[in-house]
Amino acid sequence: MSNRYLFLHRSSGAPSAPSERSSPEQMQAMMAKWNAWKTRFADNIVDWGDKLKPTGRVVSGTTISDGPFPEAKEIIGGFMIVQAASYEEAAVIAQEMPAGPGSVLEIRELAGAKM
Amino acid sequence: MTSTLVEHFFRHEYGRLVAQLARRVGLRHLELVEDAVQGALAAALDTWGGHGTPHEPSAWLFRVAHNNVISALRQDANRSRILDANPGVDVSAESAARLASEVHDDLLRMLFACCRDVIPEESRIVIALKTLCGFSTDEIAHRLFTTEASVHKRLQRARIALRDLGELEPTHDEMSAMLPSVHHVVYLVFNEGYLSLRADAAIRTELTDEAIRLATLLAEHPLGARPETFALLALMHLHAARSSSRTDASGGLLLLEEQDRSQWRPDQIERGLTWLARSADGATFSRYHAEAGIAAEHSIAPSFAETNWSAIVELYRLLDRVAPSPLNALNRAVAVAEWRGAEVALAELDAIAPPRWLEQSYLRDAVYADLLRRTGRPFSEHRVRAIAGAPTEVIRAVLQRRL
Repeated sequence: MSNRYLFLHRSSGAPSAPSERSSPEQMQAMMAKWNAWKTRFADNIVDWGDKLKPTGRVVSGTTISDGPFPEAKEIIGGFMIVQAASYEEAAVIAQEMPAGPGSVLEIRELAGAKM
Repeated sequence: MTSTLVEHFFRHEYGRLVAQLARRVGLRHLELVEDAVQGALAAALDTWGGHGTPHEPSAWLFRVAHNNVISALRQDANRSRILDANPGVDVSAESAARLASEVHDDLLRMLFACCRDVIPEESRIVIALKTLCGFSTDEIAHRLFTTEASVHKRLQRARIALRDLGELEPTHDEMSAMLPSVHHVVYLVFNEGYLSLRADAAIRTELTDEAIRLATLLAEHPLGARPETFALLALMHLHAARSSSRTDASGGLLLLEEQDRSQWRPDQIERGLTWLARSADGATFSRYHAEAGIAAEHSIAPSFAETNWSAIVELYRLLDRVAPSPLNALNRAVAVAEWRGAEVALAELDAIAPPRWLEQSYLRDAVYADLLRRTGRPFSEHRVRAIAGAPTEVIRAVLQRRL
């Protein structure tokens, strides 16, 4: 279990309409799913990470523009660091993660260059 | 680090927070308050997932929801005036004990608000389920067998009525006068859960549990601690205690005499009987007293045959006096048949001219078919009509099996 992977959570940035919002009961069910997932993969989660706010800046040389890239259909909504033996195992962990509809998880292995 | 939340924690927190915050900023901001509470629950989902549930989850939610309300009000320049008039409460300065003690008052205030006469009657149950019980519009639509659009419309009408009402608090006398309307809404919530044969058991139990929760809240407050409230609670406990035996394994309906009485829940029957004893006080005899009395007779009978049918016949007579309905006569006839025989029951029914709607109802045909069959007379005409008129497949199946 030596490799570390960055989980990037991508989703379309559009906020869901009120009618699509989860009910309190559904939110509690979702939380229970998260807790079950966390317990199951407790040894794999290195850093729980965080959610990202929808605002950002893109810096390129001397140019600073508002970001994230406005043309992107999917923006990164959060990240997490997970350790696993292989991409295959990391993918299983990702597939088991409770997620909203339409969300995509990108997995990138950390190169370990700065360790 | 992660404690498991009690069942329906989020839903009940929703009701509590809406009631508390609506009291602070006024019912005219009800929709804003509901959004703020929804936002707090969403924030909890994000934060607690990673860091675990905080020590005092209710206080955490209150703080976040309260902040959400304040910033939403600030966003609107016009509304900022009410902040000056009613400065934001410093939540950190409030003790948890004080918060807990006011919750009860706030929930009741909200329950009465949902039953105000300015709110159209069909909107009351919807706004109560939304704000007090934390059901979403599609969950309500699913439970009341209507469309989401209709629920939305009924909610909007209620919110507009509450907004136009102003912030004048009803007086104690006005609230007392509203009690029958509050009882009726709670009774409707219960019946939606108890009588419906269309929804699955889990959904039905949710509604009956919510009705019992609201009525208990009412009974524990001086304003609502009245014999009628106790009788309503008795009635609901006595029905709910027996509900699991009403259906067989495949969802088919079981008649009272076919039910396995060992499945009835003695602890809940006990609770129902305790409330019934408390309700026998004062001069009022409400429909809830009569209905609870009938349910109690069934609950304590060791078997169908050993039921005290004469007492039940008398209770139906009393029920008809306080809440007249031709259906009472029909129900009473069923009890009379057990007590004094089908001939007597038929004679009683024949003596009453039913209104047209009842004459055409499958229920009357079903009772007639059963009584005629038991006296050995031809009954097939009634049997055919009853089966053809059955409102659901489940009821049709019972009629085909029994008649």
